[in-house]
Amino acid sequence: MIATDAIVALIRETMPDADVTVFDRTGTMDHFNIGVTSSAFAGKTLIQQHQMVYRALKAAHSDGRIHAIELTTTVAE
Amino acid sequence: MSEQFKQEIEAEVGANKILVYGKGTKDAPRCGFTLETIQFFNNFGYPFEVVDVLENMPKREALSQMTDWPTLPKVFIDGTFYGDTDVLGPMAEKGELQTILKNAFGSEAPKTTINLH
Repeated sequence: MIATDAIVALIRETMPDADVTVFDRTGTMDHFNIGVTSSAFAGKTLIQQHQMVYRALKAAHSDGRIHAIELTTTVAE
Repeated sequence: MSEQFKQEIEAEVGANKILVYGKGTKDAPRCGFTLETIQFFNNFGYPFEVVDVLENMPKREALSQMTDWPTLPKVFIDGTFYGDTDVLGPMAEKGELQTILKNAFGSEAPKTTINLH
Protein backbone atom coordinates (compact mmCIF):
# COMPACT_ATOMS: atom_id res chain seq x y z
CA MET A 1 0.00 0.00 0.00
CA ILE A 2 0.97 3.58 -0.57
CA ALA A 3 -0.33 6.92 0.71
CA THR A 4 -2.14 9.10 -1.83
CA ASP A 5 0.27 11.95 -0.96
CA ALA A 6 3.21 9.72 -1.93
CA ILE A 7 1.63 9.02 -5.34
CA VAL A 8 1.20 12.75 -5.97
CA ALA A 9 4.83 13.35 -4.93
CA LEU A 10 6.17 10.64 -7.28
CA ILE A 11 4.28 12.05 -10.27
CA ARG A 12 5.39 15.62 -9.50
CA GLU A 13 9.02 14.47 -9.38
CA THR A 14 8.90 14.00 -13.16
CA MET A 15 6.07 16.46 -13.94
CA PRO A 16 6.41 19.34 -11.48
CA ASP A 17 3.36 21.22 -12.79
CA ALA A 18 1.08 18.19 -12.57
CA ASP A 19 -2.36 18.58 -11.09
CA VAL A 20 -2.99 15.14 -9.58
CA THR A 21 -6.13 13.63 -8.11
CA VAL A 22 -5.95 10.24 -6.40
CA PHE A 23 -8.90 8.16 -5.24
CA ASP A 24 -8.49 4.97 -3.23
CA ARG A 25 -11.02 2.72 -4.97
CA THR A 26 -11.06 -0.18 -2.56
CA GLY A 27 -10.07 1.35 0.77
CA THR A 28 -6.98 -0.88 0.75
CA MET A 29 -4.58 1.81 -0.55
CA ASP A 30 -3.36 -0.28 -3.50
CA HIS A 31 -6.12 0.16 -6.15
CA PHE A 32 -6.43 3.74 -7.30
CA ASN A 33 -8.19 6.04 -9.69
CA ILE A 34 -5.61 8.61 -10.71
CA GLY A 35 -6.16 11.74 -12.77
CA VAL A 36 -3.18 13.78 -14.00
CA THR A 37 -3.28 17.14 -15.76
CA SER A 38 0.06 18.49 -16.99
CA SER A 39 1.56 20.63 -19.72
CA ALA A 40 4.17 17.86 -20.14
CA PHE A 41 1.50 15.85 -22.04
CA ALA A 42 1.33 18.40 -24.85
CA GLY A 43 2.02 16.81 -28.23
CA LYS A 44 2.01 13.28 -26.78
CA THR A 45 -0.37 10.50 -27.74
CA LEU A 46 -2.64 9.10 -25.06
CA ILE A 47 -0.52 5.97 -24.78
CA GLN A 48 2.63 8.09 -24.34
CA GLN A 49 0.89 10.19 -21.67
CA HIS A 50 -0.04 7.06 -19.74
CA GLN A 51 3.49 5.67 -20.11
CA MET A 52 4.87 8.91 -18.62
CA VAL A 53 2.72 8.44 -15.51
CA TYR A 54 3.56 4.74 -15.25
CA ARG A 55 7.27 5.54 -15.51
CA ALA A 56 6.90 8.02 -12.64
CA LEU A 57 5.21 5.31 -10.55
CA LYS A 58 7.48 2.46 -11.66
CA ALA A 59 9.12 1.81 -8.29
CA ALA A 60 5.79 1.67 -6.48
CA HIS A 61 4.50 -0.83 -9.05
CA SER A 62 7.62 -3.00 -8.98
CA ASP A 63 7.69 -3.41 -5.20
CA GLY A 64 3.95 -4.14 -5.05
CA ARG A 65 2.78 -1.00 -3.23
CA ILE A 66 0.42 -0.34 -6.14
CA HIS A 67 -1.63 -3.21 -7.59
CA ALA A 68 -3.90 -1.46 -10.07
CA ILE A 69 -4.58 1.98 -11.47
CA GLU A 70 -7.37 3.43 -13.53
CA LEU A 71 -5.70 6.38 -15.17
CA THR A 72 -6.99 9.53 -16.83
CA THR A 73 -4.58 12.03 -18.36
CA THR A 74 -5.35 15.55 -19.57
CA VAL A 75 -3.13 18.11 -21.30
CA ALA A 76 -2.99 21.33 -19.27
CA GLU A 77 -4.35 24.35 -21.14
CA MET B 1 15.43 -9.27 -20.26
CA SER B 2 15.34 -12.85 -21.45
CA GLU B 3 15.81 -12.93 -25.21
CA GLN B 4 13.67 -16.05 -25.34
CA PHE B 5 10.62 -14.29 -23.90
CA LYS B 6 11.14 -11.28 -26.11
CA GLN B 7 11.16 -13.48 -29.22
CA GLU B 8 8.10 -15.40 -27.99
CA ILE B 9 6.20 -12.13 -27.41
CA GLU B 10 7.22 -10.71 -30.79
CA ALA B 11 6.02 -13.90 -32.50
CA GLU B 12 2.66 -13.78 -30.68
CA VAL B 13 2.18 -10.09 -31.41
CA GLY B 14 3.03 -10.70 -35.06
CA ALA B 15 0.60 -13.60 -35.37
CA ASN B 16 -2.48 -11.81 -34.01
CA LYS B 17 -4.08 -8.58 -35.23
CA ILE B 18 -5.50 -8.00 -31.77
CA LEU B 19 -3.63 -9.57 -28.88
CA VAL B 20 -4.44 -9.18 -25.20
CA TYR B 21 -1.99 -10.26 -22.51
CA GLY B 22 -4.10 -10.77 -19.43
CA LYS B 23 -4.87 -12.74 -16.33
CA GLY B 24 -6.84 -15.86 -17.23
CA THR B 25 -8.24 -16.97 -20.57
CA LYS B 26 -10.97 -15.65 -22.87
CA ASP B 27 -13.44 -18.16 -21.44
CA ALA B 28 -12.25 -17.86 -17.86
CA PRO B 29 -10.78 -14.44 -17.13
CA ARG B 30 -9.30 -14.21 -13.66
CA CYS B 31 -9.19 -10.46 -13.27
CA GLY B 32 -11.86 -7.78 -13.59
CA PHE B 33 -9.77 -5.66 -15.96
CA THR B 34 -9.05 -8.63 -18.24
CA LEU B 35 -12.78 -9.39 -18.36
CA GLU B 36 -13.51 -5.73 -19.14
CA THR B 37 -11.01 -5.83 -22.02
CA ILE B 38 -12.52 -9.04 -23.44
CA GLN B 39 -16.00 -7.49 -23.33
CA PHE B 40 -14.60 -4.34 -24.93
CA PHE B 41 -13.30 -6.28 -27.95
CA ASN B 42 -16.34 -8.57 -28.12
CA ASN B 43 -18.34 -5.42 -28.81
CA PHE B 44 -16.17 -4.62 -31.84
CA GLY B 45 -16.66 -8.00 -33.44
CA TYR B 46 -13.12 -8.51 -34.75
CA PRO B 47 -11.29 -11.71 -33.86
CA PHE B 48 -8.82 -11.37 -30.99
CA GLU B 49 -6.64 -13.60 -28.86
CA VAL B 50 -6.00 -13.58 -25.13
CA VAL B 51 -2.72 -14.93 -23.76
CA ASP B 52 -2.79 -15.84 -20.08
CA VAL B 53 0.39 -14.70 -18.35
CA LEU B 54 -0.95 -14.67 -14.78
CA GLU B 55 1.43 -17.38 -13.55
CA ASN B 56 4.33 -16.51 -15.86
CA MET B 57 6.24 -13.86 -13.94
CA PRO B 58 9.38 -13.82 -16.18
CA LYS B 59 7.24 -13.24 -19.26
CA ARG B 60 5.25 -10.53 -17.47
CA GLU B 61 8.54 -8.85 -16.55
CA ALA B 62 9.72 -9.03 -20.18
CA LEU B 63 6.39 -7.56 -21.35
CA SER B 64 6.59 -4.69 -18.86
CA GLN B 65 10.11 -3.83 -19.98
CA MET B 66 9.16 -3.94 -23.67
CA THR B 67 6.12 -1.69 -23.23
CA ASP B 68 7.02 0.64 -20.35
CA TRP B 69 3.70 -0.45 -18.91
CA PRO B 70 3.60 -2.18 -15.50
CA THR B 71 0.08 -3.62 -15.41
CA LEU B 72 -2.07 -6.25 -17.11
CA PRO B 73 -3.95 -6.39 -19.38
CA LYS B 74 -1.74 -5.16 -22.21
CA VAL B 75 -3.23 -4.79 -25.68
CA PHE B 76 -1.40 -4.95 -29.02
CA ILE B 77 -3.14 -4.09 -32.28
CA ASP B 78 -1.38 -4.80 -35.56
CA GLY B 79 1.96 -5.01 -33.76
CA THR B 80 1.59 -1.71 -31.90
CA PHE B 81 1.14 -1.44 -28.14
CA TYR B 82 -1.98 0.45 -27.02
CA GLY B 83 -2.00 -0.05 -23.24
CA ASP B 84 -5.39 -0.97 -21.78
CA THR B 85 -9.00 0.19 -21.90
CA ASP B 86 -8.08 3.45 -20.12
CA VAL B 87 -6.38 4.35 -23.42
CA LEU B 88 -8.57 2.37 -25.84
CA GLY B 89 -11.87 3.64 -24.38
CA PRO B 90 -11.17 7.33 -25.09
CA MET B 91 -9.71 6.36 -28.50
CA ALA B 92 -12.95 4.53 -29.33
CA GLU B 93 -15.02 7.54 -28.25
CA LYS B 94 -13.09 9.71 -30.70
CA GLY B 95 -13.39 7.12 -33.47
CA GLU B 96 -9.61 6.66 -33.66
CA LEU B 97 -9.70 3.03 -32.62
CA GLN B 98 -12.27 2.15 -35.28
CA THR B 99 -9.92 3.51 -37.94
CA ILE B 100 -6.95 1.57 -36.53
CA LEU B 101 -8.96 -1.67 -36.47
CA LYS B 102 -10.34 -1.10 -39.94
CA ASN B 103 -6.81 -0.56 -41.29
CA ALA B 104 -5.48 -3.59 -39.37
CA PHE B 105 -8.13 -5.94 -40.71
CA GLY B 106 -8.64 -4.25 -44.06
CA SER B 107 -12.40 -4.25 -43.60
CA GLU B 108 -15.27 -3.26 -41.34
CA ALA B 109 -15.95 -5.46 -38.34
CA PRO B 110 -17.75 -8.69 -39.28
CA LYS B 111 -20.59 -7.85 -36.89
CA THR B 112 -21.45 -4.65 -38.71
CA THR B 113 -21.16 -6.01 -42.25
CA ILE B 114 -22.75 -9.47 -42.02
CA ASN B 115 -25.83 -9.65 -44.18
CA LEU B 116 -28.29 -12.08 -42.63
CA HIS B 117 -30.58 -12.22 -45.66
